[in-house]
Amino acid sequence: MVRILTGVMLLLTISASRPCSAQTETPAERPDPQKVIVKLFGAGVGNLDSYGTGVLVSKTGHVITVANHLVSTGFLTAVTWNGRRYAAETIATSSEFDVALLKLKSDPADEFSFTDLAQAKDVDQGTPVLAYSNMFRVAAGNEPVSVVHAVISASIPLEASQGRWKFPLKSPVWLIDAITNNSGAAGGLLVDESGAPVGLIGREIRHASSRTWVNYAVPMTVLKPVVTAMLEGRQTVTPTRSTESTPMLTDQEITTRYGLTLLPGVVERTPAYVDAIVPESPAARAGFRRGDLILLIGDAVITSVTDVQKRMAEFRPGQKMSFTVDRDQQLQPLELTAGQGGTAGANKP
Amino acid sequence: MRFRWAIYGLLLLLAYHPVSAQQTLAEREGSRIETIRQISPSVVCVMASSGEGGGSGVLISSDGLCISNYHVTSGSGNFMKCGLNDGRVYDAVIMGIDPTGDVALIQLLGRTDFATAVPGNSDFVRAGDEVMALGNPFLLASDFSPTVTWGIVSGVHRYQYPANTFLEYTDCIQIDASINPGNSGGPLFDISGKWIGINGRASFEKRGRVHSGAAYAISVNQVLRFVDHLRAGLIVDHGRTDFTVETGDNDEVQVSQVSELSEAWRRGLRPGAVLLTFAGRSLTSANDFQNILGTWPEGTRLPYSWRDEGGVHSATVRLSPLHSFTKAPELPAERRPPRPERMPEDSGELSPTEDQLPEEIQKLFVQKEGFCNYYFNEQQRAQLLNPLRTRTQPVEAYASTWQIRFQQEGSTSATNGELAISPETVGLRIGDSAWLQQVDNPKTDEEPAAMSGLLIAMNQLRRLFSTDATALDEITAFGTTVHLPLGKTCRVLLSRQGIRTGRWYFDAAESLPIAVDLDFETGQDEIRLIFENWKDWNNVIFPERIGIVNATTEEVSWLRVTDAARQN
Repeated sequence: MVRILTGVMLLLTISASRPCSAQTETPAERPDPQKVIVKLFGAGVGNLDSYGTGVLVSKTGHVITVANHLVSTGFLTAVTWNGRRYAAETIATSSEFDVALLKLKSDPADEFSFTDLAQAKDVDQGTPVLAYSNMFRVAAGNEPVSVVHAVISASIPLEASQGRWKFPLKSPVWLIDAITNNSGAAGGLLVDESGAPVGLIGREIRHASSRTWVNYAVPMTVLKPVVTAMLEGRQTVTPTRSTESTPMLTDQEITTRYGLTLLPGVVERTPAYVDAIVPESPAARAGFRRGDLILLIGDAVITSVTDVQKRMAEFRPGQKMSFTVDRDQQLQPLELTAGQGGTAGANKP
Repeated sequence: MRFRWAIYGLLLLLAYHPVSAQQTLAEREGSRIETIRQISPSVVCVMASSGEGGGSGVLISSDGLCISNYHVTSGSGNFMKCGLNDGRVYDAVIMGIDPTGDVALIQLLGRTDFATAVPGNSDFVRAGDEVMALGNPFLLASDFSPTVTWGIVSGVHRYQYPANTFLEYTDCIQIDASINPGNSGGPLFDISGKWIGINGRASFEKRGRVHSGAAYAISVNQVLRFVDHLRAGLIVDHGRTDFTVETGDNDEVQVSQVSELSEAWRRGLRPGAVLLTFAGRSLTSANDFQNILGTWPEGTRLPYSWRDEGGVHSATVRLSPLHSFTKAPELPAERRPPRPERMPEDSGELSPTEDQLPEEIQKLFVQKEGFCNYYFNEQQRAQLLNPLRTRTQPVEAYASTWQIRFQQEGSTSATNGELAISPETVGLRIGDSAWLQQVDNPKTDEEPAAMSGLLIAMNQLRRLFSTDATALDEITAFGTTVHLPLGKTCRVLLSRQGIRTGRWYFDAAESLPIAVDLDFETGQDEIRLIFENWKDWNNVIFPERIGIVNATTEEVSWLRVTDAARQN
């Protein structure tokens, strides 16, 4: 009887101190979500934003974010919750999971609060969540980022796109009932009410069939293995998905049609620098100059000569191609009309 | 043993308590519904008299004072129609505007028992707090019952740039409750029904002008700092300091430029100093500074502190005008309020013009350059000036000279002094030294340095008491402010005579001013005087003590009046 009483007393104590013991996990083990968010600032190109959000995933300053244009154009600065600014370097990207891993160039002694991906949690439809992001760049320095309330509406495979870019992930993502599809929100953090990491807020894309802007987040449980692999250095850069069927212009075609010569694409990701311009060619008339770095064609981010060759092949004669180039650290818009060629003197061989 | 398991089972049930959790949810819903019922009558649907465009507002006094956005009332004329959730439409007149802060005050007419919103303290609002926004998005409700949207606070102390306009949202509250065109000017409430802000702005982008998850409310604390200025029919300006700051290293705010003609320069503030606090709040970035500064009306005197090689210093500074609008500024088209879905194009009945309003309503608007509605300034001024005149009129004769004898307090040997104050000249004698100031052509070396401006101030006091219309160029009501160093909230009369600007502070307990700050010359410190115990000395109304505030130390030195008399 004494043992029973002791047991009862013990239980009473437990239930008194933990009134919702079944649902609530101890939040003390988790950092304040605000402290694991970084505001990202980079090179804005065209009408795309120059800012975004990231989530710290290691004590030494690794950050995950969406592998979008902000990451591809480089020159990233990350601002932590306390207003400290760091240069950030992309050390790995996965186009399959649409995630990038950055590393803050911090002092080795610096320690950061971070989201432990081991605590990544799958939640049910209907679960209340909070979404943290620097949407609309409301916060700049040490100000906390925006937090909005939401409910998990569904877990579904997402068919969505941004221009010609198609959302790559095949496994289901979280759809949420708050508007997170906003400038700068990509790479934000979705947490449940206990603060457990649930998802990484996705990019600004439209649903393939309804063409409406989709508010989604990639489940952290899905990202955990790939990010872990990146953190361990097992995975650096996954190549863009198979593109065999994609038509490409050759270097020579670009030169003969437009009078534009790029650096020879000797390595896989040769940057798209303009090497020469044929005088009085369409490229010359469009205002291209030697040394221009092509960053964008339309909305598509250009990271290599190959990207230019692919992208330029997509235009039909007469269509206007809008280029954004980096010239002496300034962004310069240029426009070229797609044509059949011959203008630069040589015909297609 | 079964017994034991039964107890465990029971206890587990107790621990989970699903029944009580459901009750709590129902209770929460019930109390929310009750709160909405209580606060809805204070929510106003604001429409232009012409029936074009509209927005929202909130009643703050039973006689019909209603806060809205400047971008709602701007362009709706001097009179508007307001709908309440009783389904009735009331006439309203514009009172005052704060274009920079995007706030307007209007007065609803026809009742003295309007329901009012109860203000909370927006300084205590935190990210994550539940909030409710009430108003008239898309001008949906034909019976004027407000639309309620619910959300959380997404951030506080937000700064929103004056994009393409002068509308600047400083230290505002960011929410994720749905805010759409027509919500503008409507109240934001906390979950207990306390009024904490005015919904006025949102981040609109690729979806067009509809809610996108980020909206901004002007904090109620800021609104309340301006409300008495607005009641006085003013175009209230925001303030600036004559120094600029930038965010330096280590979360420090560094002073970058200081005007050499400024008060701050005279206090010793120099470029490179680290600004520590402003208006009682500590600073970690230039944004913080901008945020705090933007919540105060022009003319407010605020404390600040800084650090330099010499140590930590503190002083006060008066905010200079930011825009100095002399008339209501125009807004670009995209900032104007929405038009209702159904425009009354087919009938002119809903569009009464101003001259169709009854005369007793029309007389509530008086146009004057520099004012929003001069009618209300006259009202407020009379509330202060009439009791003052009632007190001074029986004995005051402007042409006479006042002769005041005093002792300087605090000095080791009590020094006797004398003041002779006439309309044209003011004389001062302390011990064996004497000074004489020509009021029309004052010279700063014609008085002791510690009392610079005293003689001009004494002359201004006589002019304030005078009913001679030429004694002062202008006297206007200027809202309320906290007097420093007294720390009292006072109503203010602003007097102008040439380049002299006097701020006369009134306390509810006394019909005569308890203090004056007189700006008498550019590049010179104001003379700041405190008046204690006004009394009638042989037909001269004069205080028993006059305090002189030291601009550097903010300490007060006192003159004790021993005798006053009038010489004709």
